[in-house]
Amino acid sequence: MTPTLFSIVSAFYSSLMGLALNRSHLILALLCLEGAMLSVFLMLSMWSAFQGPYSIAGTPLILLALAACEAGTGLALMVATARTHGADHLKSLNLLQC
Amino acid sequence: MTQQSVMLSSSLLIFFILLAPLALALVPSLITPHWHKFYAKSAVKLAFFISLLPLFLFMDQGIEIVSTNYQWMAINSFTFNIAFKFDFLSITFMSIALFVTWSILDFAAWYMHEDPYINQFFKYLLLFLTAMMVLTSANNLFQLFIGWEGVGIMSFLLIGWWYGRADANTAALQAVLYNRIGDIGLILAISWFTTNFNTLDIQQLFILNTNESSIIPLLGLILAATGKSAQFGLHPWLPAAMEGPTPVSALLHSSTMVVAGIFLLLRLHPLLQNNETALTLCLLLGAITTVFTATCALTQNDIKKIVAFSTSSQLGLMMVTIGLNQPLLAFLHICTHAFFKAMLFLCSGSIIHNLNNEQDIRKMGGLNMALPMTTSCLLIGSLALSGGPFLGGFFSKDAIIEAMNSSFLNAWALTWTLIATSFTAAYSLRIIFYVSMNFPRYPALTPILEAQQASTPIMRLAIGSVVAGFLLILNIPPPPPQVMTMPTSAKLAAIGVTIVGLFTAAELSNITNKQLKTFPYLTPYNFSNMLAYFQSTTHRLFPTLNLKWAQLLATHLIDVIWLEKSGAKSSMKINTTFSTFITNSQQGMIKTYLTLFFMSTATFLMFLLLN
Repeated sequence: MTPTLFSIVSAFYSSLMGLALNRSHLILALLCLEGAMLSVFLMLSMWSAFQGPYSIAGTPLILLALAACEAGTGLALMVATARTHGADHLKSLNLLQC
Repeated sequence: MTQQSVMLSSSLLIFFILLAPLALALVPSLITPHWHKFYAKSAVKLAFFISLLPLFLFMDQGIEIVSTNYQWMAINSFTFNIAFKFDFLSITFMSIALFVTWSILDFAAWYMHEDPYINQFFKYLLLFLTAMMVLTSANNLFQLFIGWEGVGIMSFLLIGWWYGRADANTAALQAVLYNRIGDIGLILAISWFTTNFNTLDIQQLFILNTNESSIIPLLGLILAATGKSAQFGLHPWLPAAMEGPTPVSALLHSSTMVVAGIFLLLRLHPLLQNNETALTLCLLLGAITTVFTATCALTQNDIKKIVAFSTSSQLGLMMVTIGLNQPLLAFLHICTHAFFKAMLFLCSGSIIHNLNNEQDIRKMGGLNMALPMTTSCLLIGSLALSGGPFLGGFFSKDAIIEAMNSSFLNAWALTWTLIATSFTAAYSLRIIFYVSMNFPRYPALTPILEAQQASTPIMRLAIGSVVAGFLLILNIPPPPPQVMTMPTSAKLAAIGVTIVGLFTAAELSNITNKQLKTFPYLTPYNFSNMLAYFQSTTHRLFPTLNLKWAQLLATHLIDVIWLEKSGAKSSMKINTTFSTFITNSQQGMIKTYLTLFFMSTATFLMFLLLN
C-alpha cells in the first residue's frame, strides 16, 4: 500500500474511531463524520486522477454537495438538541432507552 | 236458474249491506251521534233478514253456490282470486251469526250507552262481522286468511277498548300473541298447499289430496285451530279476553271468532278425514282442553270468566267431535252453542251493569226477585248448555256423546269428556246458586232495573236457544248413517253424568254455610283457581328465557367475540405484546453498536492488509 493511500485510509479510520468511541459531545460525532467524508472525497479524487476513466471525475463534487447537505442537517439537529437539552451532551439523548 | 242467481245475489248483497255503514263512516262529517242506531244496527238486522233468503232456498232446494268473482293477481299458473262459497256450512253459519250479532248490537246500544265513542265501538263490531263473513264464505285459503287476520285484529282492538286499563292492554296483547302462534300454523299450511298443490282453492285441494299426502299441512291447520279456538296450550288468551266489554265477549269470544278455528277444520275436513294421526291429535287435544277448562271454571269467582271457560270447554268438545270424524255434529254444536253462549254473556252483562259493575259472584245474590227476566234466561241458557233434554244444546251435545260412546276411540278422551260434561252442570249450578238464589250480598242501595232495551235481545236469544237445535236438526241435509243402537247406559250417559254433576254441585252448595272441616283442603282449589298455574309459569318462563338468550347472543357473544377478541381490541393487544417483547431486545445502545462495528471493520482490514 502506498503511503498516500495509507495516510488517507488511516484518516478515515481515525474519524470512524472518533465517531464510534466518543462518549461526550454530539459535535465531535459530526466533526468525525465530516472527516470521514473528507477522506472519502480525497480517495475518490485520487482514484479518478491516477487510475481509470475520467468519466467519474465529477463524483467527488456530487459527494461534496451531499456531504454539505448532511452537515447542515447534522448541525441543525445539534442546534435543536442544544435548544431543548441545554447542551449537546450525548448522555442527555436517552429517550429511546427503556 | 233464477233460484241460483237469486241465491248468489242475495248472499253477495249481505256483504254490501254490511259494508255500507262502514263506507259512510269513512267520511267522519257524515256520522251523526245516532249512527250506531240508525245505520249499524239496522244494517245488521237487514242483513239477517236477507240472509234468510239463501238459507230457505238451501233448505228447500239444496242449492249451493261457488262463485269466483275477480282475479286479483296471477303468477305463472297460480292465481289469487276473490271467490265465495255459499254452501251448507257458510249459509247456516252466516244466518246464525247475523241473528246473534243483531241481538248483541241491540244489547250493546244499552250497555255502552254512556260511552262517548259508541259509534267507533259499533264500527269495530261491524268490521269484525264483515271479516267473519269473509272468513266463512271464502272459497280459497287466501281469502280465508284475510278474514282470519281481520278477526284477530278486531279482537285486539275490541279487547283493549278500555285502553286506559293496564290489564286490558295486557289481555289484548295476549290475544294477539297467542293468535299469532296459531297463524304460523295456518301460514305453514298455506305455503305447503301453494308449493305442493299449486292452488289454494278448496275444491282443488280436495281433489289433489291423496292418501300419501304429508301430515305437515294438517298439523299446521290444527295449530291454527289451537290458537284461534283456544285449545290447551294456547288457551290463556280467552279468559284474559274478558277484559273487553260484555258485547265484545258475547260476539267474539263465545259465538263467532273463537269458532273460526273449528270452522277452518270443518271446511277442510275432507283433508283430515283419512289421516288417523291428525284425527287422534284433534281428539286428544279437544279432550284435554274440555276437561282442563271445565276444571278451571269450577272455582272462578268472576262471572264472565266462568262463562269464558265454559266457552273454552265447549270448543274442546267441538274439537273432540272433529277427532271423531263427525263434522256435521261439530257444526251443529257451533250453531246451537252460539245462541245460548251469547245469551249467557248478555245476561251476565245485564247483571254486571245493574249491580254497578260488580263482576264477582260472591257479591251477587238473590237476583231472582230483582231481575226475573234475566235470571230466567240465565237458567234457560244453563240448561241448554248442560244438554237439557230437547233444548238447544241437547240435539248437538247428546248426539256427540252418543257418537263417542259408540266409536272406537281413546278411552281417556271418552272419560275426560264425560267428566267435563258433569263439570258443565256443576259450574252452571254454581253461577245460578251464587247469582240468583238466596239473599243479596251487594249493597242495599244498588238501583236495579231490568231495561226493556236490554231484555228484548236476551229474550230473542232465549227463543233461539230453545228452538234452534230442533229447527236445525229438521232442516239440514241428511247426515251420514249414525249408530242408533247402543246399550241403555251408553244412551243415557250424557244425561246421567250431567245429573251426577248437578246433584254433587247442589250438595256442595248446601254446605257452603256450614263449617264441616276446621281447615279447608286448599291444594286442588288453588290448582283450579290459578288455572293450573299455567299463566303463572309460562308467562314468566318463556319471556325470561328469550331475553336471557338475547342478552347472551347479542351482548355477550357478539360484543365479546367480534369487538374484543377478534376485532378492534385484539389488534391493540397484539401491538402492545409485540412492542413489549421487542423493547426488551432492542435497547438502542447506539454507542455499543458503533463500537462493535468499528472493531469488526478494523479486524477485517487487518486481515486484508496482512494478506
